[in-house]
Amino acid sequence: MRAPVPAPAHAAEAAIPPAGAFTLFRRTMMARAYVRWIGSMREPSYLLADAVFPTIGMASYVLLYRALGAPRSFETLAVLGGVLATYWLNVLWGMGTQLYWEKQQGQLQLYFVAPCSRMAILSGMALGGIAATTLRTVAALAVGFGLLGVRLPAFDPLALLGVFLVSMTALYAMGMILSSAFLLLGREAWHLANAVQEPVTFLSGLYFPLSTFGQFGLVAATLVPLGLGVDALRQVLLGRAAHGLMPVPAEVGVLAALSVVLLWLARFSLAHLENLAKREGRLTQRWQ
Amino acid sequence: MRVQVARFRTAAWLGWQVESNWADPLVFTVYAVARPLALAMVLAGMYWALDRSPARHALFAGFYLANAFHVYVTRVVVGMGWIVVEEREDYETLKYVYVAPIGMFTYLAGRGSVKVVLASLSLALTLVVGWFVVGVRWDWSHVAWGPLVFSLGLGMIACLYAGMLVSGAALLLPRVAMTINEGLAAGLYLLCGVIFPVDLLPRGLQELSIAMPFTLWYETLRRALLGHGASARLGAWSEPHLLGALAFSTLVFSLLSWWGYLALETRARRLGRLDQTTMF
Repeated sequence: MRAPVPAPAHAAEAAIPPAGAFTLFRRTMMARAYVRWIGSMREPSYLLADAVFPTIGMASYVLLYRALGAPRSFETLAVLGGVLATYWLNVLWGMGTQLYWEKQQGQLQLYFVAPCSRMAILSGMALGGIAATTLRTVAALAVGFGLLGVRLPAFDPLALLGVFLVSMTALYAMGMILSSAFLLLGREAWHLANAVQEPVTFLSGLYFPLSTFGQFGLVAATLVPLGLGVDALRQVLLGRAAHGLMPVPAEVGVLAALSVVLLWLARFSLAHLENLAKREGRLTQRWQ
Repeated sequence: MRVQVARFRTAAWLGWQVESNWADPLVFTVYAVARPLALAMVLAGMYWALDRSPARHALFAGFYLANAFHVYVTRVVVGMGWIVVEEREDYETLKYVYVAPIGMFTYLAGRGSVKVVLASLSLALTLVVGWFVVGVRWDWSHVAWGPLVFSLGLGMIACLYAGMLVSGAALLLPRVAMTINEGLAAGLYLLCGVIFPVDLLPRGLQELSIAMPFTLWYETLRRALLGHGASARLGAWSEPHLLGALAFSTLVFSLLSWWGYLALETRARRLGRLDQTTMF
């Protein structure tokens, strides 16, 4: 009797049906999202940095409103700002600087030789980042509504979810563009990310209504999608007390249009980056 | 003494080379200016969103002022922690600095002194914006110069020693050093009542806050420049009482930080963590 012959290695490969473009995109995205999710849970100090630090800032702003004798709706506004600040930090540090980190760790070249869409990798990063950040917002909500006693009126959860999804799409699409831009900027990327962190917080009106600045507020809101998203979310939660810039449907429309434009720009900048990597061969060098 | 001064000067010169070398002047300026100014404008936006009254304006002026001076904590205290991270992770030179005759303490103090200068630039810009844009002004003829200069000196000492303590923690805990640095900035912003009176903190935290030299420093600065403080609890303290408490708190804090730095550095050396890189 003959012993069974082990199947050749390529037989296992042959068992996996060839993926279509969409399936490959989906698989890549989910794989990268999984890595992002697991990675963000693995290091306890990241949990602290991502969840607790923005919450501390938020608590200070709530107490500032309280000290100035502001209406209670402003405290709610500050809590919402603190929650959304965690997403902004994730976009900046988790998306924007990610390719730069990958280069420093010597993994960027693997991204460029992998037989999949680079957009799928970045989309996975965004998906995993949103999921992990959403979990971290629990800290802000607990401190804001539990410890500081901030209250929220009744609101439409479906409208909130819809506005949130459109806002996050636009925001993370901007993060995808930043990841290419920061990579091109090389070692200045770290400092540039540091430099834009607070100005964007200001221009987005995370802790105050952008309408405070009148026409300038409107201009600021068009610079960064976070501003319009924050304003729309606030209006869904607080109604007139949110002192909104524009009606919510108009803001959602602009955000949806921005999402499309920013995603296209992200795709374009990634393609440019890939060409540069192939042509000059310098992009994956550390400390450049 | 002359040798120590020369070493300090060399470390400060190196610090300036490092601070000004990593980016082009435009990015450097944006970095040094944009961050503190944006934070100040966030506060201004919050204030402008509310109805303005003289009482509210006086309160806000005190918070704005303390926020402007808090830049020393974010730039010097946290920055000194970052020196260790940069030397170890980015340049991989910490071990050479450590064994060099200059000594870590002198080296860190010298590098930290450059951060004091940069923080002073940010402070000046924030105050100018406060004066002309936000309307945070004071009567120069009523400024209490003696307490102002005295408290400024004590504040700088407290910042440098706190920076030493943070550097010590960064030496011992390579993996979480970055988190500690950023967390400390956020934590002290809340704990020291920079933008709200410490009376709003829960009991226990209030006492801890009042024991910190930074809380007393901000209250002294508010009184010296604006003529009033922010905290009702500290408001019961007379000027000499507040200044004495600030001096005592700074002395105790500096001694504890000095001792803490030496203990942390010794432990880091024993555990072989001085040149342990984490690729982050």
